[in-house]
Amino acid sequence: MSDLAIHASGLGKTYGGRRPVVALKPLDLEVAPGETFGLLGPNGAGKTTLVKLLLGLVRPSAGEAVLFGRPVAAPEARRVAGYLPEGHRFPPFLTARQTLDLFARMSGVGPTHRRARAEALLERVRLSGAADRPVGTFSKGMLQRLGLAQSLMNRPQIVFLDEPTDGVDPVGRREIRFLIEGLRDDGVTVFLNSHLLSEVELVCTRVAILKDGERIRMGTVDELTRQGRAWRLVTSALPPTTLDALGDALSIDGPTRGGLVRSTATVPDRAALNAALDRLRADGVEVEAVEPARQSLEDLFVEAVSGSPRLDAEAAPSADG
Amino acid sequence: MTGLFLLTLRELRARKVVVGLFVVATVVWVALALALQLDVVDGSLAGARLFGQETIEEPFDPDEPLVDAEGNPVLDDDGVPRTRGSDLPFNGDTLLESVVFTAQAFVSGAAYWIGILLALFATGGLIATLTERGYADVILTKPLSRSAVLGGRLLAVMAVMLALVTYLFGAVWLVMSVKTGIWSPRFLLAIPVVFGMFAVVYSVVTLVGVWSGSGPLSLIVTLGLGFVTLVLAIPELPTQIDRTWRPLVVGAYHVLPKFGAVGTTLVPQLATGGDVGALSPLASSLAFGGACYALAFALFSRKDY
Repeated sequence: MSDLAIHASGLGKTYGGRRPVVALKPLDLEVAPGETFGLLGPNGAGKTTLVKLLLGLVRPSAGEAVLFGRPVAAPEARRVAGYLPEGHRFPPFLTARQTLDLFARMSGVGPTHRRARAEALLERVRLSGAADRPVGTFSKGMLQRLGLAQSLMNRPQIVFLDEPTDGVDPVGRREIRFLIEGLRDDGVTVFLNSHLLSEVELVCTRVAILKDGERIRMGTVDELTRQGRAWRLVTSALPPTTLDALGDALSIDGPTRGGLVRSTATVPDRAALNAALDRLRADGVEVEAVEPARQSLEDLFVEAVSGSPRLDAEAAPSADG
Repeated sequence: MTGLFLLTLRELRARKVVVGLFVVATVVWVALALALQLDVVDGSLAGARLFGQETIEEPFDPDEPLVDAEGNPVLDDDGVPRTRGSDLPFNGDTLLESVVFTAQAFVSGAAYWIGILLALFATGGLIATLTERGYADVILTKPLSRSAVLGGRLLAVMAVMLALVTYLFGAVWLVMSVKTGIWSPRFLLAIPVVFGMFAVVYSVVTLVGVWSGSGPLSLIVTLGLGFVTLVLAIPELPTQIDRTWRPLVVGAYHVLPKFGAVGTTLVPQLATGGDVGALSPLASSLAFGGACYALAFALFSRKDY
C-alpha cells in the first residue's frame, strides 16, 4: 500500500442534512508514483470532491485514503503534496515573490530553499518580470501560473492540479502542458482534473471518468480509446472479389492520398485479423498500415457521460479476444 | 504556524484601519503631552493649561471648604459641606492626582468602549476569510493541523491588539507620570483587562465566523450579543419582567460576558486607583470566551471545505 502515491478504498462522501446529497459513491483508486492521472467528468460529477477528499479538505463519509502510505487526514501526508485549486485566491496585496515565500513557509520549506525555489519557479512560469508586483494587479492567466508555481514550491512528490489551464491563453496552455510533462519526467505524480480533454489525452497515462458521483470508466488512454475488435487498414485498391470473400469483416471507409484506400476490419481476434491480411496479400493487395481503431477521448467522454453502462478498461473486451 | 502568523500580520497591515488605530493612539498621547501644561510646585498642582487656556489659575486645596458670599459653608443635597475638590470627577488625595486619574479614566474608557469596537471592525473579517473557497483550499492543504491554522490566525490578531493597547496605555501613563511626577502603575493593570475583554468579544467573532463563513454576520451577531448583555446588566430588569422568564434572564446574565460591569466598574477603578471590587464579571466573561474558542476550534477542525 505504501508504494502507491494514492490508495483509496471505498472512499465516498455524502453531505448530510435533511436531504443527504451523495457527492461521491464509494470508489477504489490506486495511482502509482510517477503516473500522470487524469480525472474527467461533467460538472457535478464529484471530481472536486474526490480531490478534496484526497487532500483532507473534506472528511470522508465512507472508506479511507492514503498518500504515499500516510492517511490523508494527517498533516504530514500533505508535506509531499502540492495543490492548485480551481479558483484559488491569494492576498492581493502580496507580491508574487512574497506569495510564494509565505505559502512555502507554511509547507515547511526552509528560507534558503524558498528563495532559490521561488526564483526558479517564477522563471519557469514566466513571471520573473512581475515578481515584485502585487498579485491584485495580475490577470487571470498570471494568477493561474502563480498558483501553479505555488503548488510546486515544496518540491512535491504528488501534485493535484484542478483546471490548471483555466483562463490561460493558448501559448500559456502549451507551456503548462510542457511543465506537466516535465514533472512527469522528474517522476512527480500528477493528478490532473481538467475539462480540456485534448490536454488530458496529451499528458495523462491513465484517466478515470466520473458521472453522478460514480466512476464509470478507468484505464489508460490507449485502452479506453481503442475500439474493441476493429482495426484501421490503409491498402492499395481492394478487388471486388476480395471484398466479397471477406464480407462483413472488411468495410471501406474511403480513398486516401496516393490511390490508397482506408478500410476497417472488424474481426473477433488477432488470428482472424491475420487471416484477413493473408487473404488481402493473396489477392495482390499491398498493405500500407494496420493499426487498432480508436475513438478520440472526446468521443469516449461524450459516450460515457451520455448514459453508457459502467465499463473499466480492466473489464472491457480485449482486442486480443 | 509561523507562516500563517506572518500572513495575518500582513493582512492586518493591509487593512488600513489597524494602522489607523495606531495613528489614533499616537494622536491621543501626543495631544495629551502637548496640550496639557501643568505647573507642579513641590508635588502640588500650582496651575494647569489645556490647549493654552488657563484651567486652574491659582493653587488651591481640594479639601478646602466652599463658602458662599456671606461666608457660610455650601452644602450638597445630603447636607454635607462641599469642598473645592467636590466637582472633580475623580477625586484623588490631591488636585494633581485628580487630574491624572481623570485623564487616565478618559483614555481607558474610550479604549474600552470605542477602541474595542473599532478593533472589531478592523479584524472581524479575518476569520471568515480563512474559510472562503479558494483561500481555504490553499491554506488547509498545507501540512498544518487545522488547530495550528486557526491558532496562527488568532495569535496574530491578539498580538497586534495587545501591542496596540499596551502602546496606548503605556504612552499615556508615561506622559502623565512624567508631567506630574505621580507614578501610578495600577493604571497599567487596565491593559490586560481591556485586552482580555477584546479577546472575549473576538471569541464570538471567531465562533460565528467559522460556523457561517461570513464576516459581516459574525460582526452583527457579536454587536447584537454586546447589546443584549448591556440590557441584561440593568439591575431592575429581573424584577420588571414576567416571572416565567426571570430564570432565563438571570441565567443568561450569569453565562454571557459582562461588558457593562467590566467597562463601568473595573476599568475606571483601575484608572483612578479606586476599589475594583469583585473580579467575577471579568472571570465569567473570560470563561465564556474560552468556551467560544474551544467550540470554534472543534468546529473548524471538523468542517468540510
